[in-house]
Amino acid sequence: MTSAAPVLSAQAIRRAYPLAGRSVEAVRGLSLEVMAGEWVAVVGTSGCGKSTLLNLLGAIDRPTTGRIVIAGRDVSALGDAEATRFRLTGVGFVFQRFYLMPTLTAAENVELPMAEARVPRAQREARARELLAYVGLDGRADHRPFQLSGGEQQRVAIARALANRPALLLADEPTGELDARTGAEMIALFDRLNRDGTTIVTVTHDEELAQAARRVVHMKDGVIVDDVLRRPLDARA
Amino acid sequence: MPPAPRPLLAGLLAGVLLLPSLRPVPLRAQTQAPIRVPVAARRTIAVDERLAAAAGLAIGDTVRLAPTAGSLGDLVRIVAITRRGADPSEVARNEFKVRLHLDHLQAVTGSGDRVGRFAVRSSADASDEPNAAPDRVAAAINQAAFGFRAYPASAVAVETSSTFRVVNRFHRAIGVITIVASAIFLLCITLLKVDERRRDVGALRLIGCSRATVLRAIVLEATLVALIGSLLGAALGWAASAIVNWYYQGLYQTPLRFTLVTPGIVGFAVVLSLGLGVVSGLLAGRRLVRTAPLELVGR
Repeated sequence: MTSAAPVLSAQAIRRAYPLAGRSVEAVRGLSLEVMAGEWVAVVGTSGCGKSTLLNLLGAIDRPTTGRIVIAGRDVSALGDAEATRFRLTGVGFVFQRFYLMPTLTAAENVELPMAEARVPRAQREARARELLAYVGLDGRADHRPFQLSGGEQQRVAIARALANRPALLLADEPTGELDARTGAEMIALFDRLNRDGTTIVTVTHDEELAQAARRVVHMKDGVIVDDVLRRPLDARA
Repeated sequence: MPPAPRPLLAGLLAGVLLLPSLRPVPLRAQTQAPIRVPVAARRTIAVDERLAAAAGLAIGDTVRLAPTAGSLGDLVRIVAITRRGADPSEVARNEFKVRLHLDHLQAVTGSGDRVGRFAVRSSADASDEPNAAPDRVAAAINQAAFGFRAYPASAVAVETSSTFRVVNRFHRAIGVITIVASAIFLLCITLLKVDERRRDVGALRLIGCSRATVLRAIVLEATLVALIGSLLGAALGWAASAIVNWYYQGLYQTPLRFTLVTPGIVGFAVVLSLGLGVVSGLLAGRRLVRTAPLELVGR
């Protein structure tokens, strides 16, 4: 049973970029709360600010104003080194293009964040095997990315994102590079992850992925225009 | 029965016969009657291996030695084949050398007791400064022997090696220019190669790898590449040097080593390469880690 405490709390966040001598706001006073164990899909048209929102939530970018608290930590004012450390242990990222290291095996890719976090070798090897088995790649641990299909690479990326047991899993168009069948497998994997207690925020254009999420947040012009709770947390079973 | 004598036409210099062109001619074409000279009475000479190779001479052969083409000269026996010293000034000269006893040389050339030059070996006292004894002997000869001019060997060496010093400086200048140009080239290549990895670096930064970790990885990789490259380069240089020496030593019949790959040179090359690797890795890495991760992954 997952407690319904907010893992993520964003309050009135704004992100402005200078463009052609003027300031353009990609996110305009947005507030969002995500409870532990939730799976939130952020949807909207291109340019509505959903990727910017994800970058802010993941401490890749900093809001111009507003406050973001993740797992009790204010990440909106972190310096570069602290933000990097937070990305390593506080959140897990899954990207549309996987971003695996081409020279490393699947297991080594999963171990990478743990090595950076100074996890002892034996522990990280065991954890990497465990995670690869969880995402269904226990037989592919020693394969390099070019030896894996797109779906398998995305599974490795998911295992890597979970390596340091983050409080929140952020996914940016995780099915964007996959065909329909592999995309459906990925949705099933995210569903299993969520049912097993992982808090997930995905940004997507994929209707099927959005429909699988418990909660769907619609964005338009940098603000949330709709927030639909499709399945409450206690409806997990 | 002694082997048939073979003619040798020679140009002559003091103490050494230099043979710019060798035209072996059958003895019978020059003389109508066979020459009979007791073997024991014949003078002996030594020829250098270049001449021996060119004329097909061997120890024990009897040849005719004459100061000018067409003159009768002497029948002499070859008792030694000498190897040339590693003297760079002699390498490219198309000359042959014949060594003979001084009185024989005088007789063959008709130069009587004229002496062109001679060498005096001096022995230093324990209290002498370096070169003091040769200087003292040279000064004594210059004072006492009218018509002679004496020089210490070191002065002669300096005089004769001035050309090589200039060539050496020229080589050093070429070396420095090559190293600087190569360094700039390698730096640019490293920057480009590292820049090709900007997406990987961006991904590392996005998943939480620190700038220091990424920079360390880039510098380590550049250093390893530089180390492997320098060792391969040293091996290639050694092989090329061996081929060059083998070819030119054969061509000029000299033991002179035309190229050298010494431990010092290899050490210098490895250290230089490592330095370049570290510096170029640092510059390229710093440039990347200072760029925002999102920019690195092209978003």
